[in-house]
Amino acid sequence: MARRSRFSTQTLSVLAALQAEPAAWQHGYLIAKETGLQSGTLYPVLIRLSERGLLEARWEDEQPAGRPRRHLYRLTPDGLAQATAALTEAAPRRQRAPAAATRRPAVEKT
Amino acid sequence: MTALLARVLAGLLGRCGGLLGPGRRDWVQAMLTEANEIPDGSARLAWLGGGLWLVVRELLPRTIRVLAFIAAAAGVLWIVWPGSPSDSAVPVNRLEVPVILLLLAGLPVVVRRSFGPVRDNWLPRAVRVVGYAIVLALIAGKSVMARDGSKLGAYFHQSWALETVVLLAITGYIAAILILTSQRVRLTRSSLQIGIGVGAVWAGVLYASAPLGEDLEAPSIKWWFLAALALPLATGFIAARVSSRDTQPMGLAPTRQGCLTAVWAAGSAAMLLAALTSVTIALFPHSVPLQTPAPPAILQNGTVIPPNLRHEYWVELSVGQADLTAYLVLLLAPLFGSGLGALGAGLARRSRRSDERDGGGPQRQPSPAPSSARS
Repeated sequence: MARRSRFSTQTLSVLAALQAEPAAWQHGYLIAKETGLQSGTLYPVLIRLSERGLLEARWEDEQPAGRPRRHLYRLTPDGLAQATAALTEAAPRRQRAPAAATRRPAVEKT
Repeated sequence: MTALLARVLAGLLGRCGGLLGPGRRDWVQAMLTEANEIPDGSARLAWLGGGLWLVVRELLPRTIRVLAFIAAAAGVLWIVWPGSPSDSAVPVNRLEVPVILLLLAGLPVVVRRSFGPVRDNWLPRAVRVVGYAIVLALIAGKSVMARDGSKLGAYFHQSWALETVVLLAITGYIAAILILTSQRVRLTRSSLQIGIGVGAVWAGVLYASAPLGEDLEAPSIKWWFLAALALPLATGFIAARVSSRDTQPMGLAPTRQGCLTAVWAAGSAAMLLAALTSVTIALFPHSVPLQTPAPPAILQNGTVIPPNLRHEYWVELSVGQADLTAYLVLLLAPLFGSGLGALGAGLARRSRRSDERDGGGPQRQPSPAPSSARS
């Protein structure tokens, strides 16, 4: 019997988006565009990952011209390891059910 | 129109986000910031709507808990407040119950500052809710029982010293519920479960043996004391053994886990027993057996009970004192629990060491978790 991943499909899609560029700091709207998730789904996922120590968050250091400072996110080393493991484990399922989590051009970006 | 609606939603999100804890406000602020980058129209409305939904989901459980507590507190006051001015328990109740309700409302804030918020798990949250319900039932039952047992107020004098001790004990119990379920006291899930299970069974058995309170002179009282000695010892032993096998990272050594679990078991049993007995007596005061022997017609302070009031005095004295043993257990249980729990946990550590020397016992996985490194 196949073992169920400890992450939901939505969380896996967020992890995939963040794992695609692990060193880069990404903002919420960008992740939302890559995953196709709405803010009401995306932010609870980000909050949960942050509380588990898998995600680090910070505000942009300097005030950019013409727009407010962004809240930025990237995976912690532990988060990256867990994301890699979970995505590898979930890969066959994600290939079988692509509609659930493949509205993400960014994942293929790598 | 959409732009106006978006402004309204953004304003609402900003205001409601301010009601969240400091750890959550940044996330709401982030959503508001991102909203400015989304093209005006339905996409921005959906984004802000999602943010509002997140805030509502965060606030809803807290709002429900606060409203439920206010309703329960109002219910307790409604039960406790009435009473004849001649009843000597009425002024005590009218002072003591609001103080306990204020403590129930204020202590979470104090404990949160020192020990952090409740652990992010359903069990510690459920323990807090059930613990508060038991304390509310206890004070309602105790107050009604005291009122029914002091109607002849002139012949009953409330001991303020005793009431203060009970008030302090109840305060300690409320603080213990909050502290042991907080984030900084890493009582493991299994320790919480063992404590609750043992406490509930212990209280259930003792309550079933004497639902209207046990007389200190009764022959069965020896079983109560035997249980008071054996159960914390066994709980401390079992909890220390179980938590030593726990590979989850935690902040407390197995011996301390065992000791705290025994305190937890003894305390929850005592509080549950006192609440059940008080409520039963408050609901069925006429079923309480009369004390034997009958009280004397002349009290120790020289007051004479008129013949026409002697039976009523006897009934009220019996009702008012029926729960004394349960309150004695309430005061002593944490002491028994800590002492005997520490002894049980110490025995568990010794037996584990001898298991390891003999090469038997549980084979511990090599793990960097602090629980296995510490023993």
